[in-house]
Amino acid sequence: MPVKPKGEAVAPAAASPSRPSTPKTKRKLRASALVAATAAAVLALTACGGGGGSEAKSADGKVELRFAWWGGDKRAQVTQAAIAAFEAENPNIKIKPEYGDWSGYWDKLATQVAANDAPDIIQMDEKYITEYSTRGALLDLSKYDIDTSKLDAAALDAGKGEKGLTGIAAGINAATILANPAVFQAAGVAIPDDKTWTWEDFERVSAEITAKSPKGTYGAAAYGTDEASLGVWLRQNGKSLYTQDGKLGFEPSDIAEWWAFLKQLSEKKSVPSASEVVEAEAAPLDQSGLATGKNGLAFWWSNQLPALEKAAGGELQILRFPSKTGKADDAKLWYKASQFWSASSRTKHPEETAKFIDFLTNNVKAGEALLADRGVYPNSEVRDAIAPKLAKADVKVVDFIAGIKEELGEAPAAPPKGAGAIQEIVKRYTSEVLFERLSTEEAGKKAVDEMKSAIS
Amino acid sequence: MSAIGELSTMTRRKGPMTKEEKKANGRDNKAAYIFLLPWLIGLVAITVGPMLMSLYLSFTDYNLLQPPEWVGLDNFIRMFGDARLHNSLRVTFTYVLVGVPLQLGVALLIALVLDKGLRGLPFYRSIFYLPSLLGGSVAVAILWKQIFGTTGLVNQVLAMVGIEGPGWISDPNTALGSIILLHVWTFGSPMIIFLAGLRQIPVMYYEAAKVDGATTLQQFWRITLPMLSPIIFFNLVLQIIGSFQSFTQAFIVSGGNGGPSDSTMFFTLYLYQKGFGQFDMGYASAMAWFLLVIIGAFTAINFIASKYWVFYDD
Amino acid sequence: MTKLQTLPAASGSSAGKNGKEGKSPRRRESPGSLAYSRSARIKGLVKHAILIIVGAVMIYPLLWMVVSSLRPNDLIFREPGLWLESLEMSNYTDGWSALTHPFGHYMINSAIVVLGSILGNLVSCSMAAYAFARLQFSGKKIFFGIMLLTIMLPFHVVIVPQYILFSQIGWVNTFWPLIVPKLLATDAFFVFLMVQFIRGIPKDLDEAARIDGAGHPRIFLRVILPLMVPALATTTIFTFIWTWNDFFGALIYLTDPDMFTVPVALRAFVDSQSATSWGSLFAMSIVSLLPVFLVFLFGQRFLIKGIATTGIK
Repeated sequence: MPVKPKGEAVAPAAASPSRPSTPKTKRKLRASALVAATAAAVLALTACGGGGGSEAKSADGKVELRFAWWGGDKRAQVTQAAIAAFEAENPNIKIKPEYGDWSGYWDKLATQVAANDAPDIIQMDEKYITEYSTRGALLDLSKYDIDTSKLDAAALDAGKGEKGLTGIAAGINAATILANPAVFQAAGVAIPDDKTWTWEDFERVSAEITAKSPKGTYGAAAYGTDEASLGVWLRQNGKSLYTQDGKLGFEPSDIAEWWAFLKQLSEKKSVPSASEVVEAEAAPLDQSGLATGKNGLAFWWSNQLPALEKAAGGELQILRFPSKTGKADDAKLWYKASQFWSASSRTKHPEETAKFIDFLTNNVKAGEALLADRGVYPNSEVRDAIAPKLAKADVKVVDFIAGIKEELGEAPAAPPKGAGAIQEIVKRYTSEVLFERLSTEEAGKKAVDEMKSAIS
Repeated sequence: MSAIGELSTMTRRKGPMTKEEKKANGRDNKAAYIFLLPWLIGLVAITVGPMLMSLYLSFTDYNLLQPPEWVGLDNFIRMFGDARLHNSLRVTFTYVLVGVPLQLGVALLIALVLDKGLRGLPFYRSIFYLPSLLGGSVAVAILWKQIFGTTGLVNQVLAMVGIEGPGWISDPNTALGSIILLHVWTFGSPMIIFLAGLRQIPVMYYEAAKVDGATTLQQFWRITLPMLSPIIFFNLVLQIIGSFQSFTQAFIVSGGNGGPSDSTMFFTLYLYQKGFGQFDMGYASAMAWFLLVIIGAFTAINFIASKYWVFYDD
Repeated sequence: MTKLQTLPAASGSSAGKNGKEGKSPRRRESPGSLAYSRSARIKGLVKHAILIIVGAVMIYPLLWMVVSSLRPNDLIFREPGLWLESLEMSNYTDGWSALTHPFGHYMINSAIVVLGSILGNLVSCSMAAYAFARLQFSGKKIFFGIMLLTIMLPFHVVIVPQYILFSQIGWVNTFWPLIVPKLLATDAFFVFLMVQFIRGIPKDLDEAARIDGAGHPRIFLRVILPLMVPALATTTIFTFIWTWNDFFGALIYLTDPDMFTVPVALRAFVDSQSATSWGSLFAMSIVSLLPVFLVFLFGQRFLIKGIATTGIK
């Protein structure tokens, strides 16, 4: 009884002399019993779980599927075009779009899954796919008729887990460093050769830019705002973010080293001050230092280049990560699935759902609508077919992805359950380190402890 | 609660009316429940069920995706050892104890100034209320950064006098302060309530006081403050409750992560992160009920204290 | 309160007699001697100056937003000032038609929810408040405590159970989950607000009406409601603004883009992973602020219609 503490606290004040003589306790009991009974009824109603989604075959035999994704207005437009193409080919299936921005999307999805009311087709992210799939919320797509033969093996593996194939890559990304040539030019510094550069070069070049640029402009943006750059660093040092059996793949000293280098960058003014770094973390893409010409180099996913170029109002250049040895082969990049197509395990129409995912994955018409909005198309045939239609910026990304194919390291292990919390932990301790509230060793220890308990 | 006790004793103050009232009391029951009917239905059908459900969930391990599992007091015990939770309590208490008096003080002050038959009153009232219209708009985050960022307006002004300001919203030492300022900035709602309350004070009290030669200050202490006290009390109680639950502002300004370094990690923000970000809804529910106890205690203290300073004309 | 005992106690029977007086503009400081008025004028000027400065600081961010909505997208974050070099109306035209429906569609959706909520809050909360403030009934303290309790629980933990409840009834993707709770006075904030206001209304008034033979419905409708116009106006304005701005409820319950309300539609401009159309976002934010602002401008005149101006007592 939640009402009881309050009810009891209230009761003493009830002793007013001229009250009618009904026994107080009895009255109180009656009231609480009423509340308890109704509450129990509602609880019983809600606890027994949902009766399933509202979708069903309507009278005319049409199947309606719900399709949810996150993203802005431009993604909505291209995705609706793909839906229209699918509906034209499959007049018996109607796709109802549900979309919204990133953070709201996950709140809504969790609520819907809890209420047994999840959309049929779900756009998934690497961070959460294990969370949802290990808990049985996603459908094993390998049991349905979806052609995966044209997909890049690495991208396909990213969607595989203990519950089968619960996600099919919607696009391929790579972790990159983007350079703003305008900043380099203004400072009179040459853009380094990304096939041979090392982390020392990175430090030197960016410090040089900072020194030769007006106040407030820095050679590079800081890393440490997400786990991707940490992942690259670890891989280059023979470690990894996660192991195949779902544990952390590194020690406190590894992440402490990573932060120590960041601090070194900060001291040499290669990267902005602590305050500016924290601000940049919360800044939307268009406000990032790279887009506003305040940074010469910055860490981004490859598919973000077109948007950044647009925001920067000029061309940007894609660079490989520096390595320890100065050999591109040792940069240890990998193909990451930018997003996945997943299906709800509770869908009433798994066949139709699979058909739609197959369409998105393998049909050129879907490719022509979506183009490179969700990253480079993982299906090589579709990728080639839509190549002439891509914008200049997209072509650049596609070429980069193709160019690094031979240098890739082995595919990283899928993030374990609870990995959604890792980015936030990395971010938080990065600012602890930059503001010198913790030493790199302390931060490393605490962060690893927290990460371990998050994914355990 | 004691205010109600007070209410019931107050209504019985006037001796001669007692018999009349007793009769009326008999009739009141039926009338009261009819008046309360919509509220009662809402309580039973919409409010109580989910509340009890969350109470139940606070004793379970519930990840939203699978059915809850009973774990007894585990969640509550975990709260004792959760350093981030303790930090979030500290942040929240600072916010409440500094932000609420500050905001209400400004709101009351402006309301008093505006109430004095000022020319252009509707204009000023609108200006002062405008920030509150924005609500939790995404635009607020951008606005705040433009003002309090490292290269924001405040620092540009400071630079003119040769001071290099910190990044107000990005420095762990000042971030909470800037969110409190954002809270004070939206003083429009309590101001409106104060204004409406001021309008309820019968003019003749003031006229009579003037005849007696009372100064403006005396009028304020003797008439305005006591007559406005139920409204001040309302604002105080609700602002305290609201501030303990404060979520949107910190969520928007920090991009949802309570940063930097958890310096703006409010209790509800942490609760939300646990529940929806880390799929730990059982723990989040336990946190919610813990917060409810805290808020309940504050509200109870408020009601007890109100006996000594809130004046009801009934 | 003893402090007030020096004042002449007003009796209920005098109600209405000074009705005419109340209609005159409400000025508390009567103009005195010439010297007094001169110093008062200086005082007034100072007051205005301070208010204007404070006001300017208050609305600077909003002005920046208005100006930004008239700038090209790539200039928005480079200019903290208010200077406009050119007038870019394209943010408005683009923003209006950027989403699946014209933006007006979402405003109509919002308007439906808002109007339903206002109606619900006004009727149900005032009724409950009357019972709590004026009537004696069994279980009153417990119910009052429960009402306060419902304000205290952070809403995040009831979202999921509430969603389950409404999806069981089949109300997801309708406006009902957003309106019906208001019809059932679940916004306890307003119940409490009105209770406090009603308790500020002199009880002599309804006792006088009771002696004249009026029942509770009549006292409520004829005596209390007219006297609590400021509280009702406050409720209307707040409900309008809060419902108009409510993001979470609309996000969870309205999944179909056809049903989006304004705040959810506005978020559709935001894309954290790629480019956000800030110009359009600001432009449409301004557009969506207009109705709220207009309602406030119009509604605020009712805020001042209280006992003071109707002249009772």
